[in-house]
Amino acid sequence: MAVDITLLFRASVKTVKTRNKALGVAVGGGVDGSRDELFRRSPRPKGDFSSRAREVISHIGKLRDFLLEHRKDYINAYSHTMSEYGRMTDTERDQIDQDAQIFMRTCSEAIQQLRAEAHKEIHSQQVKEHRTAVLDFIEDYLKRVCKLYSEQRAIRVKRVVDKKRLSKLEPEPNTKTRESTSSEKVSQSPSKDSEENPATEEHPEKILAETQPELGTWGDGKGEDELSPEEIQMFEQENQRLIGEMNSLFDEVRQIEGRVVEISRLQEIFTEKVLQQEAEIDSIHQLVVGATENIKEGNEDIREVPHL
Amino acid sequence: MHALWPRPSGLCFRGDKGSHVIPSLSSPAGQWLVGAKMASAAAATAAAAAVAASIRERQTVALKRMLNFNVPHIKNSTGEPVWKVLIYDRFGQDIISPLLSVKELRDMGITLHLLLHSDRDPIPDVPAVYFVMPTEENIDRMCQDLRNQLYESYYLNFISAISRSKLEDIANAALAASAVTQVAKVFDQYLNFITLEDDMFVLCNQNKELVSYRAINRPDITDTEMETVMDTIVDSLFCFFVTLGAVPIIRCSRGTAAEMVAVKLDKKLRENLRDARNSLFTGDTLGAGQFSFQRPLLVLVDRNIDLATPLHHTWTYQALVHDVLDFHLNRVNLEESSGVENSPAGARPKRKNKKSYDLTPVDKFWQKHKGSPFPEVAESVQQELESYRAQEDEVKRLKSIMGLEGEDEGAISMLSDNTAKLTSAVSSLPELLEKKRLIDLHTNVATAVLEHIKARKLDVYFEYEEKIMSKTTLDKSLLDIISDPDAGTPEDKMRLFLIYYISTQQAPSEADLEQYKKALTDAGCNLNPLQYIKQWKAFTKMASAPASYGSTTTKPMGLLSRVMNTGSQFVMEGVKNLVLKQQNLPVTRILDNLMEMKSNPETDDYRYFDPKMLRGNDSSVPRNKNPFQEAIVFVVGGGNYIEYQNLVDYIKGKQGKHILYGCSELFNATQFIKQLSQLGQK
Repeated sequence: MAVDITLLFRASVKTVKTRNKALGVAVGGGVDGSRDELFRRSPRPKGDFSSRAREVISHIGKLRDFLLEHRKDYINAYSHTMSEYGRMTDTERDQIDQDAQIFMRTCSEAIQQLRAEAHKEIHSQQVKEHRTAVLDFIEDYLKRVCKLYSEQRAIRVKRVVDKKRLSKLEPEPNTKTRESTSSEKVSQSPSKDSEENPATEEHPEKILAETQPELGTWGDGKGEDELSPEEIQMFEQENQRLIGEMNSLFDEVRQIEGRVVEISRLQEIFTEKVLQQEAEIDSIHQLVVGATENIKEGNEDIREVPHL
Repeated sequence: MHALWPRPSGLCFRGDKGSHVIPSLSSPAGQWLVGAKMASAAAATAAAAAVAASIRERQTVALKRMLNFNVPHIKNSTGEPVWKVLIYDRFGQDIISPLLSVKELRDMGITLHLLLHSDRDPIPDVPAVYFVMPTEENIDRMCQDLRNQLYESYYLNFISAISRSKLEDIANAALAASAVTQVAKVFDQYLNFITLEDDMFVLCNQNKELVSYRAINRPDITDTEMETVMDTIVDSLFCFFVTLGAVPIIRCSRGTAAEMVAVKLDKKLRENLRDARNSLFTGDTLGAGQFSFQRPLLVLVDRNIDLATPLHHTWTYQALVHDVLDFHLNRVNLEESSGVENSPAGARPKRKNKKSYDLTPVDKFWQKHKGSPFPEVAESVQQELESYRAQEDEVKRLKSIMGLEGEDEGAISMLSDNTAKLTSAVSSLPELLEKKRLIDLHTNVATAVLEHIKARKLDVYFEYEEKIMSKTTLDKSLLDIISDPDAGTPEDKMRLFLIYYISTQQAPSEADLEQYKKALTDAGCNLNPLQYIKQWKAFTKMASAPASYGSTTTKPMGLLSRVMNTGSQFVMEGVKNLVLKQQNLPVTRILDNLMEMKSNPETDDYRYFDPKMLRGNDSSVPRNKNPFQEAIVFVVGGGNYIEYQNLVDYIKGKQGKHILYGCSELFNATQFIKQLSQLGQK
């Protein structure tokens, strides 16, 4: 295991100081030395580059903190039963999205700027390499933080898509929700008897059979009081069938959701790869152009030869 | 073997509040490469008594901590980047390079890694981590750096402990440069050894001349020189045990260099343990070591007990690569000729391509097959290639399926699984590429090895030597092989003859010897090594009976193998498909005796040291009667991969036991013969 000898080092420094004083050797330390030290510090290149790099990093850090702070509320969906305290409105979410995007754009611009300036006025190979690596690190940091943002955004978008799908699928879900609210109301009034239930269950069947305006059906349903046992049985069968259909639709919807998620992920991967390849294709293009020119010149040279 | 489907967890993206799965590109579908990491991690944590489980892990962790400004390293995906510069000397380079790749260094935030004694420009506002040996030159250069104010802050890490006076030199320079506050931390790392495998280490690479076999065994060595050599070895071994976090029980043979090492090491450990304030073996430094109830056994052997093994021709993959190619610190350098082509007159001469490959723990093929006999390796490469091609075809097939998209409704139902397939195919692409790279790598390496085998008829040598070493009857006379112009380089013949000479019970008669000598000189050999071996044999005959090599044989299998039938690249015709039979080399036998507390005339009078005992005398009677669970075998004078592989094979059969193998230097037969011939010249 490693042993920390920093204290030993400091002790050695003291020893050396006292020894030098005893010997009367002029030392960089001491009263003059401290002034010397300050004096020596200021003209040291304060590293314009590194202070700006640190600024960018602290900006990105702020973005990250901002995202993390609101993450829980952002993701916490759309549940109407949640208390007011934890909820976030859509507009607030949009605001967060916008702010985050602006922030990210400014950060990446700042990084690009730094990159362009980093290589000016510097002659040392090592310093150039160092700066390039530093900028790579910062970009990587930005990417990681952006990932946070894109994840939560993806979740949100997915939810919206889900909702739209659900609402577009078939009219039943709408009426079904209305039914559920109506059955709530129905059950609330204790005087209703069980015959009302077949009445409410009848609705989907009627809607399937005839595309009647909902209100009309609703009104009809309310009006009926008695049903013959055969009809009840028929309705029950229809009921089961419908439930089965709903379930299968539901499963399909789930599958489609999954696929959409995967497709979006794939698209992300593809765009990333395409962007990477763009740079390479550019360089290949340059090379090819250069090569064509070289060949042209070579041909000309060859043509000149017989003239000699 | 492979599963292309992503795990269901990838789909629980929705719904779960707050818990979301970030689908990663390195597919969780228990692939090849991921499996290796998991397997090794599982192995490391499985055995509770695994103090010696992986010296490589320990050293890597120590290095990473050092690179993280001496604070334990925690991975944080949204952590701010911190950048630093790494400065090392050649020793540091040798230690770091088998353990951390450049990419891993980058991940730790290192922007530049530079040699200490190179021209370095001042880089403002960046901390510098130094990892150097505390030698005069290095200290001087560091003081110079301080004076030139190259960096913002300095984290000094010394590979082995620095002396007080040198520390004061640095303090002096820091004072003179008013840079005392810039020196942020100073550490003694105690990492003065090179780990090559999970269970194998070498002392050093840079100054191996100093501790080579030749240096230890030459007749004109002075006492002071010997002291220096011994001190170097002991220092490294001490660092090793500090990193391991355990105090071993030491056993060594009498009257050898190994004994000197043992005495010194015991003394050093004892001193350190007594010094309660600064002891390196107490408290939190022990760490995982506290879980083992037993201390490890350190067996110190001298190279001289077995000179035949370093000369032996070998048949396992790793040992072959080391023997035949340029293999160094887990990196193999190949020269490839760029094919036979008609070059138009006047064109520039074709350059040979030099390629170098790193054989790392991540390379699962290497981990699995480095100890396998070569024909098996060839077959496995074929198999891997075939399975890779199958996966590639699978991915290509999806392309045609994708062409159906959007054409008609009926096809959409067919697509139902294909989105999932496509996702998994795309996410498995990086792994496929990696697999391809490894297959290419091993194809190249194995082809190079095979060329050597065919050109030098190494299989013949191997078989013959095995027979000699196990004292079975020889079907061909030695003289025939030596005189045969086709078989092998002069060096191969020399090796064969030396093995014969070492292993025979009675020395060949003068007439025979002259015959052999003449045949060898005709074949172009240098006879100096023989001189030395004669002396050695005379000496060991005086000391003790020569060790025998066990009594099992190798069985050559037929020429037909699956490899040939499938018409693969590895056309092994004419090469025998030899199968290795387990036999214990002398070192393994000694270890077996000592570890299992067996009584054997060879090892009974080995000395016994226990640094933890209060009374500092040794006795030949071991206090501990139970067999050991962990052992470290260290060969003073040099070792090689054949011994290592033999030990690995030996311990494979025993559950719950671990062995580490170390040597003062690692040489292959060529290098060893060179040393022998230098010794024989005197």
